[in-house]
Amino acid sequence: MTEKRPRSVPPEPGPVGPLRMPDVDTRHLPQGLTFHLVKMPRLPVAAVSLVLDAGEAGMPGPEAGWGLLAGTALQGGTGQRSGDALARALEGAGSGVGVATGWDAVHLELTVLPERLPLVLPLLMEMVREPAFPQDEVKRARERRLATIRQRAMDPGALADDWAAAEIHHSDSPYARPLGGTAESIAKVEAADLVGLVERRYRPMGGTLVVAGDVEGDEVLAMLEPLLRGWEGGPLSVQAPSLSLPRSREARVVLVDRPGSVQSELRLGHVGVPRASPYHASLRVVNALLGGTFSSRLNLNLREKNGFTYGVRSRFSFRRGAGPFWVGTAVDREVTAAAVGEVLDEVRGLRDQGPTELEVASSRDYLAGVFPLQLQTVEDVAGRIGSLAVHGLPPSAMVEERDAIRGVSVEAAGEAARLHLKPEEMVVVVVGDAAVVRAPLEALGVGPVEVR
Amino acid sequence: MIQLPVDRVELDNGLTVILSHDPSLPVAAVNLWYAVGSRNEPEGKTGYAHLFEHMMFQGSANVPKGRHFELLERAGGSVNATTWFDRTNYFETVPSHHLELALWLEADRMGGFLQALTLETLENQRSVVKNERKQRYDNQPYGDWDERLQALLFPPGHPYRHSVIGSMEDLDRATLDDVRSFFLTWYTPENAVLSVAGDLDRDRTMGWIRDYFGTIPARGQPPEPRVPVLASVLGETIRQEVEAEVPLPRIYMGMRIPPLQDAGFPAIRILATVLGSGRSSRLYSKLVRESGVARDVMAFPYPLVGGCSTFLIQATGVSGTAVGLLEELLVDELAGVREVREEEVQRAVALADTGLVSGLQEVGTRADLLSMYQTLLGDAGEVNREMARLRAVTPGQVRDAADALLGEDNRAILTYRPASRVS
Repeated sequence: MTEKRPRSVPPEPGPVGPLRMPDVDTRHLPQGLTFHLVKMPRLPVAAVSLVLDAGEAGMPGPEAGWGLLAGTALQGGTGQRSGDALARALEGAGSGVGVATGWDAVHLELTVLPERLPLVLPLLMEMVREPAFPQDEVKRARERRLATIRQRAMDPGALADDWAAAEIHHSDSPYARPLGGTAESIAKVEAADLVGLVERRYRPMGGTLVVAGDVEGDEVLAMLEPLLRGWEGGPLSVQAPSLSLPRSREARVVLVDRPGSVQSELRLGHVGVPRASPYHASLRVVNALLGGTFSSRLNLNLREKNGFTYGVRSRFSFRRGAGPFWVGTAVDREVTAAAVGEVLDEVRGLRDQGPTELEVASSRDYLAGVFPLQLQTVEDVAGRIGSLAVHGLPPSAMVEERDAIRGVSVEAAGEAARLHLKPEEMVVVVVGDAAVVRAPLEALGVGPVEVR
Repeated sequence: MIQLPVDRVELDNGLTVILSHDPSLPVAAVNLWYAVGSRNEPEGKTGYAHLFEHMMFQGSANVPKGRHFELLERAGGSVNATTWFDRTNYFETVPSHHLELALWLEADRMGGFLQALTLETLENQRSVVKNERKQRYDNQPYGDWDERLQALLFPPGHPYRHSVIGSMEDLDRATLDDVRSFFLTWYTPENAVLSVAGDLDRDRTMGWIRDYFGTIPARGQPPEPRVPVLASVLGETIRQEVEAEVPLPRIYMGMRIPPLQDAGFPAIRILATVLGSGRSSRLYSKLVRESGVARDVMAFPYPLVGGCSTFLIQATGVSGTAVGLLEELLVDELAGVREVREEEVQRAVALADTGLVSGLQEVGTRADLLSMYQTLLGDAGEVNREMARLRAVTPGQVRDAADALLGEDNRAILTYRPASRVS
């Protein structure tokens, strides 16, 4: 017999529903490409994700942003059809190829109804293997990129992101520059450069192709075979020795003057850890309770208690090298210094005192609990498998990551916080009205205030 | 074509409930639409629907401040709410064994919101919302575009003339009494639709819903929203030129179009795609690819139900493009779209097909669409007819829509020019 629960008490969860992970059929193709077929017959839809080892971190400084631009300019046409004809063919099949170039890899992704997969797979491979980069298309892609760079310089949030990257990472590290390059590097790029870049870097060896959805593996393989024939070689992935270096180890304030700003955009950060760090799972738990959820310390303090901001987030960016850890928010300009002080206090408090048992349990439950929510779609699954492959991890790592999160103890989270939160090394980037915020920031005494 | 199960029940207190069962993943979504948005705000109280949405997270009879998010995050759920012209929605997706918790939380605030309301939480969220306004509007290049365009498209006193975020002055004036009366007027069971989609047991779920929501007393139908009679088109080209601290020249063009429930709306959706969605669209092809003067361009309708909707075209120039040239090329394409071809319509339908199926993979999207069609069109089952309506659109209908809506007699044009700097 069960006692009836009083209405004032939240209900207990019911029995956990079974989570059936989709079957993954993995083949190692002769080109050196790993192919994963994920059968997900729930709805008539399929997603394709092709991941190649051609990220921006592999570009030398003067060519910053060229990798990203090459990805964008793939839409400009192939040896067989113009950019316009390519767009008509893809969209006529109800699809479109999204090209996202990150630090570690380039991801080419599309969604399509399964019966149209035979129409779009050849187009995807045509883009990758035979891009034409006509002069006029490259010129326009360059102009558009320059326009975007200009736009970022006037958007306070994007401006703060770019300054934070430059101030956190060593100037020799690719991570110090904007992912899409600078006006100087982009202005120099020519069609021939992009041809050479793709020729060199868009190679199958070490790459991963995922097809997820209501499809049959043998049929997809039969479609792929002629499309991949003769494609070979691999990019030489060289990691810059300075990739993970910080710019400095002292706390300091960089104030980027934007007169008239009614808010200040804040980024407080330092170099974090690579994806391969043994602290990956424990730092995800630490971050969730610091600033990764609504109920996190930072959000409850800055938003729900003080009303300084619409929202605040923290994040470890896990890359092949040590990406940044940062806290980001936009606050009323009158409370700029107070908000910086609160963020530093929270980071210091967590580093020194560690998290509570309840906080760690809540974060663990959150991160493990959202797992089925984040893998509802064919795009989710294809994207996740592709992202894991970037770090040399197999599809089974999806579940292993969740289990690792479940295994994080309060001691492990405390240790991760103690070792990897470094308030004394934090760079504080403020994009705001210097006439209003400079004196209070100096009075805060975090470190020298440099106005840019 | 996909057919979502649509199981509709009306409770005695007037709450409409829609269930849509799909056991294939262990997740479930709860979604509540309240038929109240910025259009229901009287003069001097702009932004109150949205401020109220924030207050709904500040606690209720059995849920202290902060606990709503805390409980759902601990359950591995995702949570949010949004306010729009015609409605406010609240939603959470949870692992399905936590479905009862999500229902209990939504019911607690529908029934017991007033019991936790304090001046302290109002002051806190007023400050949060004012920061939201600063972040999205006041500290952002082009941030005031929608306020400017709405004021061009709608006459003074019209419910769609002001922005959802509202004015700082009005937000400053909001009192506890305003919040109370907003709740009592609009947050009634009769004015809400509750949708649940995903892995659910029908009887058990209906049991929870009757238990938690069915016991909330009916409070009467809210007042009918005012729907002023407007001419179907603007009747002229209205223009506003702004010189501001913006990086690139940009043009916004707004048109007054029929409301979502109009039989011609599917043709308008197809028209928008043909014109400005995707790289094969006419505007992309001309402004971005062929002439290279634009960095981006898009066209889309904003579906509304209060007598009319709006259609929006936006184009950003690359550096140095004269905004007049953007307008000239854009206007040419508006005339040219009369010649729309069968294959363009087919492409738009193919894109819509993929978009719809892809979207329906997420239980959260399903629940939101069910609430939307029930609230705005009075029948959640319309979700299953939308694709057929789009597929039935002919080039002739697209041409007719273009003729009726895209002419010189129906344009509000807002242009931004980068301020010339003295250096």
